[in-house]
Amino acid sequence: MLLFGRTLSFPSRRLFLAGAVFALTLALGGLVGTSWAAGDVNILETGSSLVYPLFNLWVPDYTGAHSDVKITTQSTGSGTGISQASEGLAQIGTSDAYMADALLKQHPDMLNIPLCISSQMVNYNVPNLNSSHLKLSGPVLAGIYQGKITKWDDPQIAALNKGVALPDHEIIPVHRSDGSGDTFIFTQYLAFSTPDWSNSLSYGTTISWPAISGELGAQGNQGMITAIQGNPYSIAYIGTSYMDSIDKDGLGTSMLQNKDGKFVLPTPKTAAAAAGVMVPKTPADERVSLIFAPGPDSYPIINYEYAIVNSKQPSADMANALRDFLTWAISPSGGNASKFLAQVHFSPLPASVVKLSAAQIAKIQ
Amino acid sequence: MSTTVSTLPDSGPSAPFLARLQKRLFTFRSFTALLGLMLAGILVMIVVFLCIYAWPAVRLNGWGFVIKSNWNLGSLYANPITSHGQQILPGAEYGILFLIVGTLLSTLIALLIAVPVGVGAALFLAEAVPAMMRTWLSFLVELLAAIPSVVYGLWGYVVVIPFLGHYVFPLMTKYLGFIPFFSGPAGSGYGLLTSGLVLALMIVPLITATLRDALLTLSSTLREGAVALGASRFEALWTVMLPSVRRVLIGSCILATGRALGETMAVLMVSGNALNYLPNNIYSPISTMAAFIVSQLDSALQDPTGMAIRSISEVALVLCVISVIVNSLARLLLYYAGRQTSVVV
Amino acid sequence: MATAAAEFPSVGGLSLRRRIFAYLGWTLCALAFLLLSGAMIWILSMVFLRGLSALSLGILTHTTEGTGGGLLNAIEGSLLLAFVGILFAAPLGLAAGIYLAEYDTGALAPTIRFFNDVMVGLPSIVVGYFGYVTMVSTLGWNFSLLAGSIALAIIALPYICRTSEMAIRQVPRSMREAAFALGASDSRVALSICVPIAMPGVLTGILLALAIAIGETAPLIYTAGWTDYLWTGHFTKEPVAYLTYVIWAFISEPFDSAHALAYAAAFFVTLFVLIIGVLSRLALDENAGWKNWAKRGAKHK
Repeated sequence: MLLFGRTLSFPSRRLFLAGAVFALTLALGGLVGTSWAAGDVNILETGSSLVYPLFNLWVPDYTGAHSDVKITTQSTGSGTGISQASEGLAQIGTSDAYMADALLKQHPDMLNIPLCISSQMVNYNVPNLNSSHLKLSGPVLAGIYQGKITKWDDPQIAALNKGVALPDHEIIPVHRSDGSGDTFIFTQYLAFSTPDWSNSLSYGTTISWPAISGELGAQGNQGMITAIQGNPYSIAYIGTSYMDSIDKDGLGTSMLQNKDGKFVLPTPKTAAAAAGVMVPKTPADERVSLIFAPGPDSYPIINYEYAIVNSKQPSADMANALRDFLTWAISPSGGNASKFLAQVHFSPLPASVVKLSAAQIAKIQ
Repeated sequence: MSTTVSTLPDSGPSAPFLARLQKRLFTFRSFTALLGLMLAGILVMIVVFLCIYAWPAVRLNGWGFVIKSNWNLGSLYANPITSHGQQILPGAEYGILFLIVGTLLSTLIALLIAVPVGVGAALFLAEAVPAMMRTWLSFLVELLAAIPSVVYGLWGYVVVIPFLGHYVFPLMTKYLGFIPFFSGPAGSGYGLLTSGLVLALMIVPLITATLRDALLTLSSTLREGAVALGASRFEALWTVMLPSVRRVLIGSCILATGRALGETMAVLMVSGNALNYLPNNIYSPISTMAAFIVSQLDSALQDPTGMAIRSISEVALVLCVISVIVNSLARLLLYYAGRQTSVVV
Repeated sequence: MATAAAEFPSVGGLSLRRRIFAYLGWTLCALAFLLLSGAMIWILSMVFLRGLSALSLGILTHTTEGTGGGLLNAIEGSLLLAFVGILFAAPLGLAAGIYLAEYDTGALAPTIRFFNDVMVGLPSIVVGYFGYVTMVSTLGWNFSLLAGSIALAIIALPYICRTSEMAIRQVPRSMREAAFALGASDSRVALSICVPIAMPGVLTGILLALAIAIGETAPLIYTAGWTDYLWTGHFTKEPVAYLTYVIWAFISEPFDSAHALAYAAAFFVTLFVLIIGVLSRLALDENAGWKNWAKRGAKHK
């Protein structure tokens, strides 16, 4: 073989090969060796794209203070969070949706631990109307996503928005194509407010969306933003952790009709009002829906952000690390501090729920 | 001298049976044959595994799997019921017609674009380019095959889709709207035509490289005969040389089809991920089987009855079977034409 | 030799119809080639321009942190997965290639070759799904280096087998016969004579398989997982990072830091594939000179 213009003989070829292999092994070993610190705990958090921005704020802060814990964050959708946590592929599965009864029966050791309270917006991209908050209701949204309401100037939308010049254009509904907690809470809102939807489609992290021409499927909250950005006259449901991106891009946030018939925007005040009514209903296993809360100021779509964790961990080190992190996350001076939650427009856990969560965290062994 | 232990010969008719068997069995030839069989066995293992794992879903879904267009995981938050002897979630139904249609249509469009362009480029590279430049110019085309699928997806997502969605597709609906399937809403850039275009780019090198090699190694008598009859260079190519490599062309096209059918990441990022509806024009979003498996595997894992994951495995089985059939056809044709494909392919 | 390239009659002397046919034909062919080269240049320019502008020293020295940081973990993971995968695939592929090249009598060799060629076209997601159900789930390895590299090995195996078979076939018969005449056994002829002589071709095949392994995404999504940290030395139960995940997952995030990482990752992957392509082309050109080996060897004397 030729190298640098000289034909190498067999012995020098062997030497060259040996040298190359040795050098490569050294390089790789050196690279690898830097992380073979004994006793490091590696936690994989995967799941909800809604809570992903919050975890990305938490992790550098927490791992900076605790150098023996490594936490990786991934935004894959609540469905993935639930399934990978149940299968043991991830240590923390984050999800906006609690586990279903049937799933819990299959994996009885799983804990659903709320970490904070988040909410969801319904955003749209209608030229000239993005800064005026259009009023929408559960039945109207159900009609849009079922294909019964096809145009923006439909009488049902016009009835809620008197005096607003609605364009005569097709609505492009965007939904999540991955297993999504956002889909879960959105469809719960539709199901609780519209009997027609509840009977036919029900709610879930994945549902069989009725086929509407022009409808788009997006992956993750990020995909939803990209979808409505690129498509005028589209509508989508997106978590409030992305409110800053929505405002920056000049997209519209709608006012939703709550159980009392009032139209409210997703603000800390309306979220707190809803939480105040629904939180007392939280059972010990903390699997409860906070959707469609009664009360004049309540925002209809709020939810607990769950960490789905197995109560039986393979090693004591891992169990301790998880307990420490989760305890920090729910404490008002740690993860639930306003310096984190304000950036993603979430609300802290009320004290009663902190107690319930702490009780569940103690079960992790 | 005379030994106390008599040594039996270990080969030949007078050797003991076991020794003979040992000598025949543990040869280098049988060792490498065994390793070769292991290689072939991997393919068999994958197909057999998919068949076994998907069997409960096959029994449940029957032929409706490939006829209906309804992929429904059922009510994930309700309790499982028993249907057809299997535990499934209420409302669960698995029909992948839209996937099959999406896969076949995107492959068809890719072929319609790739075959003329590939043949043209092969003719150009084989005949119109001086030998010195040929290697590197061919390299430029073959590099299209080497670029990873996900980089194609990135390019499509970031550059091509905005370009097509904002400029090209609206123009196409305006001026070409009279052709069926070219009319209607221009969509957003994600869809059937975009997937077909990206797939075409990925499979063109397969056709070009194979055809170019075949043309280069054609015997010169064909060409000389054409010259003797007064044909121009292009006429000789078109009427004499190209028809003689017809089988190679068809074989490589089928090979390209096989590659396009199994393409995952590029299509996942540009196709729009349609669910449960068939495309009504070429700008409409679609979904292909390979891309569907990637995007729906995690959702399927949420089904406590496990039927969804088995149905995903049925999708993988259908994809695998189609791919094996298409590739087998292509290889048989290429062997029959006596042409071994080039290294890159 | 005697037959020079056949002299075609000049197009000027033909009828108008045939002239138009010839000009049109060549124009279309040239257009086809330009279309392909143009697309290639478009893709490369996007990757390189955006990738280069996203590069910084920090990318090579930091690991990924959420949606920002660097790519050190992904680069290391990609290399690990590809090398370990090739480590599994190369001996098996080489052995199968030796069998197909040396013992091509009977029905077994064509059958194996047929299965091998069909495996080249197997969709990578099918291999990934198979790996997920068997290795990650049933065997309980979870997302791991071993699961990912075995999936890559299955994908790379047919390429290595085919290229090594073709390379070993090129070894002249006379070499083998000389070795047999000297009393060498089957294994010695194959391993000490044929393989070393065919080494450039075999190595080209392995490099090609390496390039394919680095560029794969679908099979790794469900076998290797993702991590923000460097490899911890565990072959099972610890996920591994890889560059192509960054390209796929980070481009859809609405953060500029994520986009920069995605472009940088695409840049590295494409650069790697390009370099391997150039290297293997150089080696192949070298190899093509194999036919002149006898003449060259004679000249050196």
